[in-house]
Amino acid sequence: MSYKIPMGPYHPALEEPYKLDLICEGETVRDAKLHIGFNFRGIERLAETRNYIQVTALMERVCGICSNIHTLTLCQAMEQLTGLTPPPRAQYIRVVMAELERLHSHVLWAGIAAKLMGFKTMFMTCFELREKVMDVLQAISGNRVNYSMNRIGGVNRDIDDPMAVLAMIEQLEREMVRTVIPIFTTSRTATSRCAGVGILTNEKALSCGVVGPVARASGVPQDIRRAAPYAAYAEMDFEVPVQQDGDVRARLLVRALEIMESCKILRQALTKLPPGELNAGEEKLVFSTGTATSRVEAPRGEVMYSVSWKEGSKNPARVHVRTPTFAVMPAIRWMVMGARLADTPLIQASIDPCYSCTDR
Amino acid sequence: MTQTMTLLESIPERLGSTESWVEKGGVHWLSPVPLGVRELAAAMNDWKARFITITAYQLPADQGFRLEYHWDLDGQLLGFPFLLAGNSIESIYDICEAADWIEREIHEEYALDFTGREFEPLLMRAGDTPGVNLREEAK
Repeated sequence: MSYKIPMGPYHPALEEPYKLDLICEGETVRDAKLHIGFNFRGIERLAETRNYIQVTALMERVCGICSNIHTLTLCQAMEQLTGLTPPPRAQYIRVVMAELERLHSHVLWAGIAAKLMGFKTMFMTCFELREKVMDVLQAISGNRVNYSMNRIGGVNRDIDDPMAVLAMIEQLEREMVRTVIPIFTTSRTATSRCAGVGILTNEKALSCGVVGPVARASGVPQDIRRAAPYAAYAEMDFEVPVQQDGDVRARLLVRALEIMESCKILRQALTKLPPGELNAGEEKLVFSTGTATSRVEAPRGEVMYSVSWKEGSKNPARVHVRTPTFAVMPAIRWMVMGARLADTPLIQASIDPCYSCTDR
Repeated sequence: MTQTMTLLESIPERLGSTESWVEKGGVHWLSPVPLGVRELAAAMNDWKARFITITAYQLPADQGFRLEYHWDLDGQLLGFPFLLAGNSIESIYDICEAADWIEREIHEEYALDFTGREFEPLLMRAGDTPGVNLREEAK
């Protein structure tokens, strides 16, 4: 006999609202239905009522974790409409901010995953590391969540002391190699909770169109930083970690390896930071009529913005945001089918969901 | 020339178009699209392009809507615009599973119907009306 277990919208494991109706037989999940929209704020509609300065501030609020990525993608799209090209130093600073944000996001996720595994010591270790990344973000931008770094044609603030950021990167790398990666890859707790759990096959990953670490953990080697480089990524040397198993452990490994790759990118960007201006220096922007699209590899995967403008208008005619969790979340249904009920919180968390992004 | 670029260049002709790609705003656009949206989705599946999203625009006055379908072909962003005189277009959900949520979202934002599928609420809560968010008449 099957029965339905509603999980959410307020679930102890996931601190944003979303609901999963699980159809179970005994302890085994047979099917699942997802419900989102609890965080819907009508941001795309609001964007049509804001000018180009206000809309940048607004879109930074789409996501609490990867706020910088949203303004980066939006500004890149608006730069196409205004014909502005950010100077090289700004492009490098954009890479530094994007990778610091990735570190912050991945380490935060690793901590939450550890907590869901029942591994609270590791949760504390990860959050201590994350705190250091946030200290650096604060030192650069003055803020810990919404950094307000991007503007059309460049960035708002410089990195005054790149060597201080480098010192933090080296410390983080040491901790990752010494503690986090070995424990996540070899401890029995991590292996027993993650290996073979919540599998998304390569075939299903492709048909669902999933992106980011979830795709790469299912053997899909896509990364916008490599496939369609933006900012200064074309000048960076890095690997795109890919795993084949498609389970929670593979997602864990991909993110752990991506932390190392982010450190590698940060080291290159900080040591090669070119001198020069921070922005294109236009005081008044002129938008041409048309639609521009931009894509960026956020910590959770590809973000895409389509921005439409009418010449002479103060506000955009349309801003459409496709966030990574919007693309990944439907695949949860396939991940939990056949899983044990007790594993479903960890499986849901393994996609590193952002409901705020998804609902907008 | 890479395999992807060769395939990219051949796509307009293989879709039956006499037009070439127009690169604008970060996208390779093919307009007008010479076949229906379902045939296009099937062709994109054959070429292993990754579906990204659909962006909907309401056109001024009574001109209807424009839906822009986007696929990624090894890092190349492809765009196919479809003009809708009425309020409906065929669903591609059964051909392209990744289009499920975005079709449901557009249905709720603009009150457009994607025919051939059933709708379950996505962002809307019980009792809400489709179209209240982005459709001009309801703003």
